[in-house]
Amino acid sequence: MSILGVRLDEPGRSVLLTGNEAVARGALEAGIGYASSYPGSPSAEVLGVLAELAGERGFYAEWSVNEKVALEGAAAASFAGLRAICVMKADGLNVALDTLTALSESGTKAGLVVVVSDDPGGHSSVKEEDSRYLGKVAHLVILEPADPQEARDMTVAAFGLSEQLRAPVMLRCVTRVCHAGGNVVLGALPPGPAGRPHFGRQERYITFVAFHGLQEQRLAQARAIGENWPFNAYLGPPEPEILVITAGPGFLYAREAVEVLGLGDRVGILKLGMSWPLPEKFLLRHLKSASKVLFVEEVEPFHEENVGYLVACHLEEVHPLAIYGKKSRHVAGPQGPGLGEIDVDAVIRALAALAGVPHETRSSDYGREARQLVKKMPDRELGFCAGCPHRASFWALKTAIALDGREAVVLGDIGCYTLGLTRSGYFLMQTVHAMGSGVGIADGLGKLGRFGFDQPVIALVGDSTFYHAAVPALINARYNRSRFLLVVLDNETTAMTGHQPHPGMGVTALGEKVPALSVEEVAGALGVPVTVHDPYDVRGTVEVVYRLLRQDGVRVLVLRRTCALVSARERKPRVYVDPERCVGDACGCHRFCSRVFGCPASIWDAARGRAKVDEAVCNGCGVCATLCPQGAIVVEEVG
Amino acid sequence: MAHNLIITGVGGQGTVLASQVVATAAVESGLLVAVGETFGASQRGGSVMSHVRVSRDRRYGPLIPRGRATIIVGFEPLETLRVLLNYGNPSTRVIMNLRPNYPPGVLSGADVYPEPQTLEEAVRSISAGVFAFNATEIAIRAGNPVAANMVMTGALAGSELLPITVPTYEKVIEELFTGPVRQLNLEAFRAGVRAVREGPPAEAARAPA
Amino acid sequence: MSGGPDDLARKVLQPGQCAGCGLCLDLCPYLQVVEEKVVMIHPCGLKEGDCYRVCPRTPTDWEDMDRSVFGAARADHVLGHHREILFARATAPEIAAAGQYGGVVSALIAFALGRGEVRGAVLTAGAPGEMPRPALAENPEEALACAGSKYSAAPSLRALHEAARRGLEPVAVVGRPCQVLAVRKLQRARGLEAHHLAGRKVAWVTGLFCFWALDPAFYAFLRAKTGDARILRVDFSPDSLLVHTDRGLLSEPVDKVRGFVRPACRECFDPTSEFADVAVGSTEYDEAWNTLVVRSERGEALLRAAREAGVIEVKPYPPERLPLLRTAVLNKKLRTLEAQAARGESSHLQLSEGYRRALTGRDQP
Repeated sequence: MSILGVRLDEPGRSVLLTGNEAVARGALEAGIGYASSYPGSPSAEVLGVLAELAGERGFYAEWSVNEKVALEGAAAASFAGLRAICVMKADGLNVALDTLTALSESGTKAGLVVVVSDDPGGHSSVKEEDSRYLGKVAHLVILEPADPQEARDMTVAAFGLSEQLRAPVMLRCVTRVCHAGGNVVLGALPPGPAGRPHFGRQERYITFVAFHGLQEQRLAQARAIGENWPFNAYLGPPEPEILVITAGPGFLYAREAVEVLGLGDRVGILKLGMSWPLPEKFLLRHLKSASKVLFVEEVEPFHEENVGYLVACHLEEVHPLAIYGKKSRHVAGPQGPGLGEIDVDAVIRALAALAGVPHETRSSDYGREARQLVKKMPDRELGFCAGCPHRASFWALKTAIALDGREAVVLGDIGCYTLGLTRSGYFLMQTVHAMGSGVGIADGLGKLGRFGFDQPVIALVGDSTFYHAAVPALINARYNRSRFLLVVLDNETTAMTGHQPHPGMGVTALGEKVPALSVEEVAGALGVPVTVHDPYDVRGTVEVVYRLLRQDGVRVLVLRRTCALVSARERKPRVYVDPERCVGDACGCHRFCSRVFGCPASIWDAARGRAKVDEAVCNGCGVCATLCPQGAIVVEEVG
Repeated sequence: MAHNLIITGVGGQGTVLASQVVATAAVESGLLVAVGETFGASQRGGSVMSHVRVSRDRRYGPLIPRGRATIIVGFEPLETLRVLLNYGNPSTRVIMNLRPNYPPGVLSGADVYPEPQTLEEAVRSISAGVFAFNATEIAIRAGNPVAANMVMTGALAGSELLPITVPTYEKVIEELFTGPVRQLNLEAFRAGVRAVREGPPAEAARAPA
Repeated sequence: MSGGPDDLARKVLQPGQCAGCGLCLDLCPYLQVVEEKVVMIHPCGLKEGDCYRVCPRTPTDWEDMDRSVFGAARADHVLGHHREILFARATAPEIAAAGQYGGVVSALIAFALGRGEVRGAVLTAGAPGEMPRPALAENPEEALACAGSKYSAAPSLRALHEAARRGLEPVAVVGRPCQVLAVRKLQRARGLEAHHLAGRKVAWVTGLFCFWALDPAFYAFLRAKTGDARILRVDFSPDSLLVHTDRGLLSEPVDKVRGFVRPACRECFDPTSEFADVAVGSTEYDEAWNTLVVRSERGEALLRAAREAGVIEVKPYPPERLPLLRTAVLNKKLRTLEAQAARGESSHLQLSEGYRRALTGRDQP
């Protein structure tokens, strides 16, 4: 699980790679010339790794401003004869979809692989979208690896497939592939991208409805390939009683569940490496022998529906056959039947029920007493890190809104600051949708004054999100004379996904220095007045927000302070509570620092009845010191 | 049969790096490995887990089924018990750090954090053995509380619960890290090994007062 | 009588009875101020709080205050404890000129800071025609820069906490009558010494005469009247607002300003800083002099030292003026009594029947 393994030129060696690293490795082995992405979990690390290796391997990599732009750049490389990879999370696919549906119609030239990462269970996403539906809408071939080894293998294969079909190929990876680690046997690395790019004068890549037939032809071709494709495989007895149809890590779960339940002679597993189009003959061959079929997949019942249709078309051949899966509620992951992520346990339960075998890993009263101890403790809520500038910004906003007293509406967006909807952000945020949506919603609300709507409107957006999707809404707001305050929570990085650079930072994915494009330059060029302030100066920020709330039109406030995780690498003052000055519960603050402001580094030392700063957690921002009513918190520069 | 190891803690404690060291050392030892993690939210105070499955001949999925963990390495007492209850069984072995990391509910006064000693006893009562100590204190002595993850990794190595030798771990740490971090991590790792072999130093033997 | 933030919100903040003294600010992270309006931004969750205990507009036993500040019941129910009532002015012409009237307040503070009697002074700064702000002076120059009357309720007592944080002690406070009362409530509140040393560090309190303060909206009104002209001085005569600018004198009927009077000030019981060590006011009788009410022993000692040093000169208060002052104060008290009667248990006035009778019976017209 490190770039060292991705870089190794030792074909045949087994190294530990994450799924993301394995995709990057596959792209390297395929000899890509162009890689682009907008960072999104769980696949943010693919381009991170590629960007680091781009220089030495002689290809180009970039963090694009959004997924649509990223895809268009990658398509251009394909048209010009360079293999290209474009990486995005499911939400990003929505942004890029307009272009993607067109690309499958216009066709492509050199291999174009679109890696889409889905996040079943929403470990680091606001929704758990199943991108296979959109892949189907776009008439794409969809591949689903089960583990890092397959992620590498399928990436390499996807480039060949894309060139064979002259269309983009989608590689759908779920979190449990992207962030999983496993042994990957390396292939050979080519010397570098082959040939000089050229866009032939006679070449055409045109989207036109008349080419719909062509899309269907390509899918038929892919289907034929899939019938004998090694990643579509069957494992189990020749005539199983129960057939499990699965894809992705579900395959490994199913295999383990069969092992755990000892059902190897009754259950067969059909693994779909190509989730779309379906290898119909291959499927029917195995469906015929089974009396029950169980679908093991994430997130939605995609195979269940599509194979279900296939079954309906061939009822006589497969009859009698009962279908189980998410729709039948037999497959229930931690989030419940029909929802979210699945795991081995979900498959064990479903198979045990279908096969009518008992299952108990350990006695049901295991840890009955000990369970009482944790029952009293609710699950850990997510919150801003110690020293996070967003916490200071949210406290200042909360204060200014209270002082303003007109029930300001606070609209959220996508990024670390989405946590502003939790206790960590004092529950301020009232809407969360998609990248840039808060600005669009603010724009809408800001025009309702004609109906008597008189609440102030605040949209919050991160710096990276600002460039990604906020600008068109801002232009619309200025054009259509809306009225709101756009607060850009500028922590000078793309923090949520691991600190990728963006246009405001003056550095590219390749590490080249470029002129930074600041938020104030963009907003200023749109004729929108901009104020810049440091959120660590909470009192000053309150005043600025209060003042701006009372102004008319569209205003932008940039609250700029580097992400604490970044700045703590450089400088981390020692922050501690002076036990002489802190008076504990004798103070009227009622434990403001630990209880209300809520920095995880501020803790209550019950033994001494005083506040305390947890050194192991503190990032040294010192904001708590400016807010303590006793001035009891000391900030001391170190070194 | 796999060794099913879970490394658990709170976002920011470095569980991911620890699992990376263990898993890489396993691959270096010629074993098959599957690691399951969740990051993204991991630096933002939530509970985190890394599943590491080590096998001689079988590829497993990245998630360990309930009740089937063989080893739990807990960076935080409450999370250790939580994970043990979900994934452990009476033959699970546990290595735990006694230094609490308080959830927001405790900081806000809404919830009361149990005594670390009570948590340790609870863990002991439902597992096949616990090595509990204050790894954070040892890490502070080694130079930085953040290195508690390597102290815990050292304790796992020293316990010899996995078929991986201590020098293999050390080689991996030397390869994965550079500069002063490498030295810090090696020292922390070795302190963890010593703590298991010789017993923790007195000041790290108990939960913090 | 005890109470907490909920009571403060219910009895003081919500009904517009906050005097804007500023003492609760910085005592507590949940009380914040903007444009002289105090707002509770978050429920702290406590049943009792110092915010309630020190607020000059939470129920206050007037006679108890007399005993705790002066050690005795008052003889004069209208003007409060006083040892002497004088006319006074600063001897230094530049101080007298900078001050609104006789410059007595500035002279006393500068004198005390210069002599090291106090290390800091809680004052109110701000140019004429602008919203004033809290100030903490550490030397005579800084104190003199704060000279001149202010017409709205700057929350200047928050500077007292700043002084405590900076370790400045002892400190002098100059404040409006509500602020004087707040400081006295802070000084006598039990249990506060543990954490709020600010009260213990106050050496003496100079109170101002104040019959009302204006809402900050007044400044916008003023700006609209003066346009681009620079405001040099703002003053009131009995019937007019007088604005001296670099383009001449502007005058507005005082009735136009009445609407700006802070609602809390309409229910003020103490226009002459009855709990101060010395109270200082103006008089239209002679603009070169201040009215000076010496109330406490400390106040007397301070004045004596200042006179001996030749910083202040005094002359007798004209006897014919006294009934006018008394009537003005009494009328204000009576109006407030009436208004407060409607507030029931929320009333900030806790007066014995005897006190009420003394007030309404003796001098009632």
